[in-house]
Amino acid sequence: MSTPIVQMSNVFKRYRALTALEDINLTLNQDKIYGLLGRNGAGKTTLMSILTAQGFASSGHVNVFGENPYENEKVLRRICFIRESQKYPDDFHAKHAFKAAALFYKNWDNDFALQLVKDFELPLNRRIKKLSRGQLSAVGVIIGLASRAELTFFDEPYLGLDAVARQLFYDRLLDDYAEFPRTIVLSSHLIDEVANLLEHVIIIDKGKIILDDDADNIRGSALTVSGTGARVESFIGNRTVLHREGIGALVSITLEGQLSAGERREAQELGLDVSPVSLQQFVIRKTLDAGAGLEFDAESQAKQTKKATRMGAIR
Amino acid sequence: MNRAVAVARMQLINKWTFLGIPALILLSSFALTLAIWAMIPDTAEGAKYSGAGQAVMWYFFALGLQSMSLTFPFSQGLSISRRNFFLGTVGLFAVVAAVVSGLYVVLGYLETATHGWGLNGQMFALQWIAKQNGFMQMFFYFVLMMFLFLLGFWGATVYKRWQATGMLLACIALAVVLVGAVGLITWRGWWPAVGSWMAAQTPGTTGLLALGLAALLGAGAYLTLRKATP
Amino acid sequence: MIDDSRPIFLQIAQLIENDIVDGVLAEEAQVPSTNEFAAFHRINPATAAKGVNRLVDDGILYKRRGIGMFVATGARAVLITRRREDFYEQFVRPLAREALKLGIDGEQLAAMLAREPGAASLRDVQQKEGAI
Repeated sequence: MSTPIVQMSNVFKRYRALTALEDINLTLNQDKIYGLLGRNGAGKTTLMSILTAQGFASSGHVNVFGENPYENEKVLRRICFIRESQKYPDDFHAKHAFKAAALFYKNWDNDFALQLVKDFELPLNRRIKKLSRGQLSAVGVIIGLASRAELTFFDEPYLGLDAVARQLFYDRLLDDYAEFPRTIVLSSHLIDEVANLLEHVIIIDKGKIILDDDADNIRGSALTVSGTGARVESFIGNRTVLHREGIGALVSITLEGQLSAGERREAQELGLDVSPVSLQQFVIRKTLDAGAGLEFDAESQAKQTKKATRMGAIR
Repeated sequence: MNRAVAVARMQLINKWTFLGIPALILLSSFALTLAIWAMIPDTAEGAKYSGAGQAVMWYFFALGLQSMSLTFPFSQGLSISRRNFFLGTVGLFAVVAAVVSGLYVVLGYLETATHGWGLNGQMFALQWIAKQNGFMQMFFYFVLMMFLFLLGFWGATVYKRWQATGMLLACIALAVVLVGAVGLITWRGWWPAVGSWMAAQTPGTTGLLALGLAALLGAGAYLTLRKATP
Repeated sequence: MIDDSRPIFLQIAQLIENDIVDGVLAEEAQVPSTNEFAAFHRINPATAAKGVNRLVDDGILYKRRGIGMFVATGARAVLITRRREDFYEQFVRPLAREALKLGIDGEQLAAMLAREPGAASLRDVQQKEGAI
């Protein structure tokens, strides 16, 4: 039932001293909505650039629609990837950008594009250069949606959009996807907002894929048990701990795995509180080393920032 | 539809860039030149020259820079191959350059026929070129414009691919080659020969030389573009 | 309505089950399409379909080609039987445990249940039983 349309094997991307992507192996199937989740600078945009032949891998194989996408119009014409920092010609107004997109996408739906323009209250006759961050994001979102490309990437599409506009985007995406199924990759670090839209989740951290699974398999794959220290500790036994925090005698531990009905009863009898872990919490727990203290967080944050800046500079 | 043709159409979406602004530059520089000529009294010494005709050509240099640095990243977003982007953009420019060249030749003839627009001026029919036949004139203008456009285009491609460091290295390399050549000529005492060689140039031979350089730039730009990232 | 505790497809299946048990969806009534579920709950259509298909596999819903999904005859009775089995685990056990913690004995608990306005109708359950 699932037809693979994208395959990456052993893909590396190195910049002098920095490894931006490390041994990426990935398959994307037709007509699914994927979430490409991870922190800023984790390698999301680099990965999408390589898939769309906008960027180049240092080594490894990339196969899209059965072929190498590089300089391959047969493959490229079925792909749309407007990046978060997309540049437009200096003299272009939003309407020019849509006209251009209409030239290249055979499924371009101009009525849909105009409807979205109205929805997002986007000024068509203003230079793109003069648009606000949110309006700029809206231009990208509209091209991505109205192009109806078989493989569409949305790169942090919500930047600068307010809550109403973001909800609008998610709703339009779902509606249109239901009517015209296609493969969609949504890159995001606002995970809770998009979690329910996703069928499959890929989590990337420091250039490596650390999780690649159906969203529904992940949901409920971790939980938090809290209560008095000794009781919690004895209850969890030797399960995999993702995170541990405490205040006074109270301890709250995030576990990987599920509880059986019997274990739930046991937890209740011990007076322990069992609560679900959201996808966002799960990603945070997975991308920060388990049980790490605050100092470590600050340190890794600093590293991450440095990395992001360097990547920006190299790009 | 052929995607290279679509690229050309994309470049023309904003009519001002490729058509409006060059026309405006041409018209305004022409009007300004006429106004200046009208203010200068006629003397027996001969025609009044103006370099204003070059203004449009220099605009094409800037256009080469811009169509690369801004339209290329956008074309990548629309999943256009680098090859088609190159073919469409350079192809469109060749057409525009051909039209403008034709216009220059026609204006040159008109200028001669009207005795320098009735003001004894020379803006289009510069002696050295106007002496040639129409085809040769057109060839000369065309090649010159292509050369300037491709120079801008290639420069922007180098910048896209290697950023400021690349530009700096390219400029240094060019300077080293030029200084080296001058040094060599001086050292070997070749200046008189160079002088007579330059004097012997006709628009035809200069055009051929520019054509060679333009072709070299075009090939260089394409090869650089093949691995450029938006 | 959708939370993070369990896979969404299970939650969708449960929402439909609730509607059947409550009588909002009558037997032989048409169930909204998966795309309608997806749009309403703002979830992935494939996930919604998975939830619906689970009920089809269970025999709670059935498919009519080209028309849609319908509630099977007898679905409500099946669901109610199933839920009664869960009732003890889900409600009675925690109730008893909390009562124990607070020192409420069996008599007091029974009195409290009787005080609950809904309890009056509890007595009628016996008669209602025949209707199921």
